[in-house]
Amino acid sequence: MAAPLIEMRDIEKHFGSVIALNGVSFTVNAGEVHCLLGDNGAGKSTFIKTMSGVHKATKGEMFVDGDLVHFVSARDAIDKGIATVYQDLAMIPLMSVTRNFFMGREPTRWVGPLRFVNFSEAHRITKEQMSKIGIDVRDPNQAVGTLSGGERQTVAIARAVYFGAKVLILDEPTSALGVRQTSMVLKYIDMVRKRGLGVVFITHNVRHAMAVGDRFTVLNRGQTLGTATRAEITPEELQDLMAGGKELAVLSETLGGTV
Amino acid sequence: MTADSPADPAASAQEEDERLKDISRLRKALIRPELGAISGAILVFVLFGIIAGDSGMFSAEGILNWSIVSAQFIVIAVGACLLMIAGEFDLSVGSMIGFSGIIIAIFSVHLGWPVWLAIILAFVMAMAIGAFNGYLVIKTKLPSFIVTLAFLFILRGLTIFLAIATTRKTIIGGVRDVAEGDWLAPLFGGKVLTGLFSWFAEQGWISTFTRGSRAGEPIVDGIPMLIVWAIALVIFAHILLTRTKFGNWIFASGGDAQSARYTGVPVDRVKILMFMFTAFCATVFATAQVMEFGSAAADRGLLKEFEAIISVVIGGALLTGGFGSVIGAALGAIIFGVVQQGLFFAGVESSLFRVFLGVILLLAVILNTYIRRMITGER
Amino acid sequence: MKVIAKAVIASVALAGVAALPAQAEGERFVLVSHAPDSDSWWNTIKNAMALAGEQVDVTVEYRNPPTGDIGDMARIIEQAAASNPDGLITTIADFDALSGPIRDAVDRGIPVIIINSGTPEQAAELGALMYVGQPEYDAGLAAGQRAKRDGVSSFLCVNHVVSNPVVGERCSGFADGLGVDMGDSMLDSGQDPAEIKNRVKAYLTANPDVDAILTLGPTSADPTIQAVEEMGIAGEIYFGTFDLGTEIVKAIKGDVIKWGIDQQPFLQAYLPVIILANYNRYGVLPGNNINSGPGFVTKDALALVEEFAGEYR
Repeated sequence: MAAPLIEMRDIEKHFGSVIALNGVSFTVNAGEVHCLLGDNGAGKSTFIKTMSGVHKATKGEMFVDGDLVHFVSARDAIDKGIATVYQDLAMIPLMSVTRNFFMGREPTRWVGPLRFVNFSEAHRITKEQMSKIGIDVRDPNQAVGTLSGGERQTVAIARAVYFGAKVLILDEPTSALGVRQTSMVLKYIDMVRKRGLGVVFITHNVRHAMAVGDRFTVLNRGQTLGTATRAEITPEELQDLMAGGKELAVLSETLGGTV
Repeated sequence: MTADSPADPAASAQEEDERLKDISRLRKALIRPELGAISGAILVFVLFGIIAGDSGMFSAEGILNWSIVSAQFIVIAVGACLLMIAGEFDLSVGSMIGFSGIIIAIFSVHLGWPVWLAIILAFVMAMAIGAFNGYLVIKTKLPSFIVTLAFLFILRGLTIFLAIATTRKTIIGGVRDVAEGDWLAPLFGGKVLTGLFSWFAEQGWISTFTRGSRAGEPIVDGIPMLIVWAIALVIFAHILLTRTKFGNWIFASGGDAQSARYTGVPVDRVKILMFMFTAFCATVFATAQVMEFGSAAADRGLLKEFEAIISVVIGGALLTGGFGSVIGAALGAIIFGVVQQGLFFAGVESSLFRVFLGVILLLAVILNTYIRRMITGER
Repeated sequence: MKVIAKAVIASVALAGVAALPAQAEGERFVLVSHAPDSDSWWNTIKNAMALAGEQVDVTVEYRNPPTGDIGDMARIIEQAAASNPDGLITTIADFDALSGPIRDAVDRGIPVIIINSGTPEQAAELGALMYVGQPEYDAGLAAGQRAKRDGVSSFLCVNHVVSNPVVGERCSGFADGLGVDMGDSMLDSGQDPAEIKNRVKAYLTANPDVDAILTLGPTSADPTIQAVEEMGIAGEIYFGTFDLGTEIVKAIKGDVIKWGIDQQPFLQAYLPVIILANYNRYGVLPGNNINSGPGFVTKDALALVEEFAGEYR
């Protein structure tokens, strides 16, 4: 079997005296959705920021395609094909769809001695990519703010895919969305997986995770509680693990199984 | 659970479309960031055409008068506009104008440097201070409002101190004499198209001096370089903002600095460069003024930072960044200049100027907010 | 019918009477000052200007740069000239900056009178008709000589308009009159009353040997009066001021201020309007510049001053 797209080994991250991550190991393979679950404060954010080059690990090693790497900035991770889509920061609402889509990677052309953004090209590609994922952007000049939350997340993912990401790290892409919009994003995640990309899907919603996940890793207090495949685990077990043991199960019973 | 939900992306997009449909083509063409400023400009010209049409406001020298005032506002508004779109403020613009002017005067008149060198030095110093402003804002993560407010005082005080310490005066004159024959000075204080205007005068299309050594010469003998600078800066900044990669980064830095950083936009560099550009514009203003008047004063440029910001806001830019237009800011500056000078022409008591200014500002902001919500889908 | 005809004839006659002098009257003059909106002293100018305008039936418009920026003032002069007034009254607060616009106005054939700031020589150089004002250095010198006779040997000059070097000459004239070096006797007080008061207090605390205070106008005098009163040295320290105002008059009466130098701003606004009107109508012009001051106002001559302080005095 080929080396995983990303392998994280015994990652530790300390902030001063606080140990945010205490030996986390994790892999993502091509064509799979690996869900990273955990309650607030479990260390999910710190972990993905380490993976995407924003933080430097205090200890531990990271391999991309089997090669040892040391990221110094987010740029390094992007160059290796690791794209991160953050929950609230996916898009800039005041800017147009095209400007957002090509932000930081604008196509340019020379006009005499001057280099301008090739907007006709950019609009064309944007429209094309949007229709591929089923969003009909009538005017690529329209501001992202006019799109729905689900569409924004989808556009952000489509952007990462278009620019050649091999691994997508999705930070709670569904947590602020309604049911219909969530399904739209999950559908698109499934599409991306089928194209052979590796997806790291961070969520604290077990149902969303079970809907698309192939493997599940639960983080609790900076440590992994283990990784399971879809066949090995039920949503209930996952929920229990996330809550860090039995307390929630007990609570769940008293609340009539609604948690 | 959700996977078997009946909705698919295409269907939901379809639904979005239905909600967008009522926007007609005409309305869409009209809804631009500059719309407020365009309608304001038309309104202002019509208004003054009616109440001050026969007062000399629209004679050649009347037009030149409010054009220069507007050009002054444009020069500093262009810098303030790009900086505001990049998400920052510069309140030290007015003090920077006084500072740059005094630097030019001290070095050229008092220390006897060539004027071109003094001008270049002023630009270098101003832009270095601009860069330092930006660096402090980035590094301390303090609001630029506070950092540049500090520089408003620091620069003003330093300017008065430098002027008094070197020359014991706060107004340093004699720049015109030392600028005689300088190659760089006419680029700021000179006039263009002088031949055309003499020809106009010969044709009797514009009025001429009736006495003195210049009898027979046209009163308006050319377009001052300040106006040329204003036009050039507007074109440059407009193209930079709307047509280039860097322009996209300016929007991104102001729209949401964090998400811009995540997509690889060098936000810090963009912001620092915009602070430097603002300082550059302030120095253009100062240099043109010093070269035209032949003197620099430590209190020049008082409150100009607010005039710049007001022009930009009338022009439709969002105070919190990420949205705006250079053309809008330029129109805002023209509205400001025309109203200020027009009220004089119309013979309105000058203390009422601020009342008008406040009313216009308020109307512009309300209209612009409405337009912006339509464009960006803000709720 | 007869009544109507009579009325028509009467009104035509009346209109005729009114129309005859109207050919010469109703001129429009513009007065451009260098004072920021906050400078209350110019109120006297506005009032005198309006009074003269009423008396000779002309319109006089008052214009000023709101922040006192001389660059803005230059634009206002250009603007005033472009509106083709029948006369322009202005100051030369900064010769370099204002000489161009003023000379342009003169060359367009607009009669110009210089008031207040500037010198008779500068006014002549620009081709203005005349200068009405108080030669600042001479006024300061006279005040300094007077103070010297009263036994003063050191002073503090509270300057609220450092940007106007002409006004600053009052301080240097005063120093020369005393026969002392100016040194750091000039205090840049700013325009804010609270700041002025505190800076004066700080200066006087740090330099307890200072014999005399000279303020350059009501803007700096009023807070300085408070400062000396609060420090308990009112009446003890030798206090002279330029210009008059309600508070200054009160202080002269209460022996806090020894004398006020009245440059009689009333004349600076009133006379130019009258002179310009008659120059326009009959071509007559006094042959000389007019010194509107200095006049020393002491406790003895206060009655009229008091009545019209802040209005016409």
